[in-house]
Amino acid sequence: MAKVTVDGREIEVANGSSVLQACEAAGVEIPRFCYHDRLSVAGNCRMCLVEVEKAPKPIASCSYPIAEGMVIKTDTPMVRNGRRGVMEFLLINHPLDCPICDQGGECDLQDQAFSYGQDHSRYEENKRAVKDKYLGPLVKTIMTRCIQCTRCIRFATEIAGVPELGATARGENMEVTTYVEKALTSELSGNLIDICPVGALTSKPYAFVARPWELRKTDSIDVLDAVGSAIRVDARGSEVLRILPRMNDDVNEEWLGDKSRFSFDGLKRRRLDKPWVRIDGKLRPATWLEAFDAVSTKLKGMPGDKIGAIAGDLCDAESMLALKDLMAGLGSANLDCRQDGARIDASRRDFYVFNSSIAGIEEADALLIIGSNPRREAPVLNARIRKRQLAAPFPIGVIGAHAELTYMAEWLGDGPSTIASLPEAFAKVLADAKRPMIIVGQGALARPDGMAVLAAAWKLASSIGALTAEWHGFNVLHTAAARVGALDLGFLPGPGAKTLDAMMGGGVDLLWLLGADEFDTTRIGADTFVVYQGHHGDAGAARADVILPGSTYVEKPGTYVNTEGRVQRTGKAVFAPGEAREDWAILRAFSAAIDKPLPYDDLDALRARLEQVNPVFGRLGFLPRFGANDLTAPGGDPATVSATAFVPAIADYYQTNPISRASAVMAECTQTYAPTPALAAE
Amino acid sequence: MNAFLASGPGQVLITLVETLLLLVPLLISVAYLTVAERKILGAIQLRKGPNVVGFWGLLQAFADALKMIMKEQIIPTGANRFLFVIAPMLTMVLALMAWAVIPVTDGWAISDINVGILYLFAISSLSVYGIIIAGWASNSKYAFLGALRSAAQMVSYEVSIGFVIVTVLLCAGTLNLTGIVRSQSTIWFVVPLFPMFIVYFVSALAETNRPPFDLAEGESEIVAGFLVEYSGISWGLFFLGEYANMILQAAMMTILFLGGWLPVFGLSFIPGPIWFIAKIIFVLFFFIWVRATFPRFRYDQLMRLGWKVFLPLSLFWLVLTAGVLVFMGWLPHSA
Amino acid sequence: MAFLDRTARSFLLTELLVGMGLTLKYLFKPKVTINYPYERNPYSPRFKGEHALRRYPNGEERCIACKLCEAVCPALAITIEAEPRDDGSRRTTRYDIDMTKCIYCGLCEEACPVDAIVEGPNIAFATETREELMYNKDKLLANGDQWEPELAKRLELDAPYR
Repeated sequence: MAKVTVDGREIEVANGSSVLQACEAAGVEIPRFCYHDRLSVAGNCRMCLVEVEKAPKPIASCSYPIAEGMVIKTDTPMVRNGRRGVMEFLLINHPLDCPICDQGGECDLQDQAFSYGQDHSRYEENKRAVKDKYLGPLVKTIMTRCIQCTRCIRFATEIAGVPELGATARGENMEVTTYVEKALTSELSGNLIDICPVGALTSKPYAFVARPWELRKTDSIDVLDAVGSAIRVDARGSEVLRILPRMNDDVNEEWLGDKSRFSFDGLKRRRLDKPWVRIDGKLRPATWLEAFDAVSTKLKGMPGDKIGAIAGDLCDAESMLALKDLMAGLGSANLDCRQDGARIDASRRDFYVFNSSIAGIEEADALLIIGSNPRREAPVLNARIRKRQLAAPFPIGVIGAHAELTYMAEWLGDGPSTIASLPEAFAKVLADAKRPMIIVGQGALARPDGMAVLAAAWKLASSIGALTAEWHGFNVLHTAAARVGALDLGFLPGPGAKTLDAMMGGGVDLLWLLGADEFDTTRIGADTFVVYQGHHGDAGAARADVILPGSTYVEKPGTYVNTEGRVQRTGKAVFAPGEAREDWAILRAFSAAIDKPLPYDDLDALRARLEQVNPVFGRLGFLPRFGANDLTAPGGDPATVSATAFVPAIADYYQTNPISRASAVMAECTQTYAPTPALAAE
Repeated sequence: MNAFLASGPGQVLITLVETLLLLVPLLISVAYLTVAERKILGAIQLRKGPNVVGFWGLLQAFADALKMIMKEQIIPTGANRFLFVIAPMLTMVLALMAWAVIPVTDGWAISDINVGILYLFAISSLSVYGIIIAGWASNSKYAFLGALRSAAQMVSYEVSIGFVIVTVLLCAGTLNLTGIVRSQSTIWFVVPLFPMFIVYFVSALAETNRPPFDLAEGESEIVAGFLVEYSGISWGLFFLGEYANMILQAAMMTILFLGGWLPVFGLSFIPGPIWFIAKIIFVLFFFIWVRATFPRFRYDQLMRLGWKVFLPLSLFWLVLTAGVLVFMGWLPHSA
Repeated sequence: MAFLDRTARSFLLTELLVGMGLTLKYLFKPKVTINYPYERNPYSPRFKGEHALRRYPNGEERCIACKLCEAVCPALAITIEAEPRDDGSRRTTRYDIDMTKCIYCGLCEEACPVDAIVEGPNIAFATETREELMYNKDKLLANGDQWEPELAKRLELDAPYR
């Protein structure tokens, strides 16, 4: 620790901090453009000038380390003059096109020019103009506005791990470019928009759509992958206009995957906004009463074991619990949430969650990835792995399909048999590691021998010392936001009840699909009466006999559990379109229509019931870290693994659910980033 | 022909024709009185007044009438429909009825009855009923307040009007209007009875609800008083009634004080009706002029003026006049 | 004496007569009324009347959908929606002013960086229905086309004070 004085206030800061960090610790705001907490220090914008006693010139605080007894002054005439001068220089070549700039209203340059700049410029020459670059369908560039802070270059290189951006030439002629005209191949490219302090990089789908002051901001949670990133939903009227990440150091830091950020236009397309009933083979619009009647008529006298329910990947815990209770009322335990056919042992929570936690990745010292491609399945989590590797040597081994990850990884094999027979070198790495991690992906579990693979991975974990009282290195990486919540609720076949496979082909007479679109609906028996409750006209709705329009994750306050087992809640940003309702309310209303009312009338009562079913739902947002106390292995015989190679769980990152499939932006991304041959072979 | 005219039906026909001959010009003058009022008020307020419809705005009155007839008549839900509709008609009819006894010139009265002045007094007193009925039937608090004010006001000022008329009658020695005018052939009563003329004029303002005594309407306090619920032509009838009453009061003043059709300065080549009309116009100008000059009375001031100033004053002047007449032996000989 | 004086004045109605004399004097004074539709008062170039959206001399609409007018409007009378036009420039797809909400404060024209939205000299735009007062972009541009010579002149006159 070192003692420094900032504006007369004495504080202690850690050795090696920069002057800027010391000022921040003292609560003094330092203007900056190029400096960013999570990026390396560049020190090229010179906006963060402060005065240090006994130093002849103002110093750039972001890149100047503190020293014991340093006296820093941030509000002297020298500092103010310096900042004003820097601001004037920056504005020399910055166009004054704020009125047509999408960054207007939330622009660092605008704000800082207002706070630290002067009211006019002395520059009368021509301003420079720079040709715009192509960065793909998501990021729009207006490079004339660039102030060459190089944040984007550093982000692409350091965080995204795709060193495709760089700067050419020097001085006034410096340009940020991709060198060749080519879309950025990163799933995190949307973060460039947030990170750009000016309007040089803006969102293409959001171009000219709205101003920040018009938007109603709702804090929420992303559900398009299983990471549960914190997001902010910006809406105007009944329309979601953009989605931005929120800070959550435990989960997504301040990043967000492109799918989560840009799929929102799918929220408006192909929506189910009124109930439909199939009459004479054709779906016809109906009222809620007619739709309920059609279902209850069908249900009359139907034995419980001929009724089944499948929950989809985007369902909130509330609606899944309501559906489970409804099914229990009808005498059915035919429930399933594993549309991909994943074999999971739900008997203990640490068999199916990401036990190390996402923040815990930074504590690990070796990693084995089994049947997963984190870059596609959880790009934000992937960035965390890269961050860990950049910080210190971090050996990573991969079992599964070849994939281009954003960090150095050793490919060990392509099938489950490799788990038991790791190459010696890597086996030693794992054995030597103090905190080794194993990530088991859905590619490894969603196959007939999934249980065996899970058991094999657990066996390996316990053999390399990944399961200790302090460290739980066994992790399952999910791809569906609803999955862990469903498993926590026990949305699984009861004893002797039918699984998803058993429900297919006429296994049940009435099948209730709660937003379930990710399985092959043609497998459903021709005589099965299908009720689809969901928000998009996707696979499930096409097969349905009755459609009950539900809400998307931005239209209801719902509880989700991310792959770590962290319970989080979405916020209601807009109302569902037309006659669509919140899903739990639909189920509650239907239960009353068939005279088996569910015992909760409002969301609070339902959440109390959630907590009663599984106490973890009471731990909102907070995730306690458990060591591995019980070393009992999950069910499944490690010896029965097949030789088949793992296939990736996600074929196309940009289109994995009804919302992103309905999104035009995501469709464009899919086209732009044409699948690699390895993925196409699936 | 003459035989027919002398017969009963013939007399009725003659009376009808006479009535029409009187009422049509009267209604037209009511129309032009409204235009004149707006013009004069405008002029005093440095405005031009209506000047768009017709030459110099002369057709404005007819445009307004047309507008009022075209407009929707709203009858409030809570109103007594029958009385609500009857009230404006009553006001209008009473204002016109009085004209039956007004002599336009010597012998030119539809009915030259001997108790003409009593008839006039009775009719003009009745006109308060239109307002009271309107205020009550509207079933609205503002209308009701307006009607109450109006009733109290009329009762107060009719007392002094009565004494003023008695004073005039003392001097004239007849209740016949023609007789009253004739008795002024030597000197108009306005000269000896000038204070009474002023009292009568002010009371006439009060009697016709004209500013500064328009408390029954009182736009600034009770919105429009008894008129508040009226619209369209029923409102228009009240409006016409008010102006017809103004002309009636001006005619009465002319007869009682200004010598009716008698000429001035011996200009007897100008016919009597012209004189009569000219004098009415003169008085009406005063009505409008007063309106343009004075602000509305406060209610307590109105009552004070009526009971504590005009009543003693007119009573005093009545006694004085009677005394002088008896003492000097100037009492007129009854006809 | 004062009592006598006051009583005499009161009974002789002097104050009333003086007042009536005053109004009579005004009766004959020259009138200030102007014959409105045919004559008009001189208007300040800053007069805030009916709104209009202006164009550049080449016919290109000025409005760039910056939404500053929408933000500054104290009556929330302006609604703007925008998207990139085919040539990539920022333009409005919707520019509505609810003239029944507008309070004619002129903040919109002050906020406008390109002098697109202006309040013109026109005050006579009464309509028979409310709906006609919900101005859309077409109506505003048409206003601009109709009044452009005057609008330009007004802006030019006001320019030195901006």
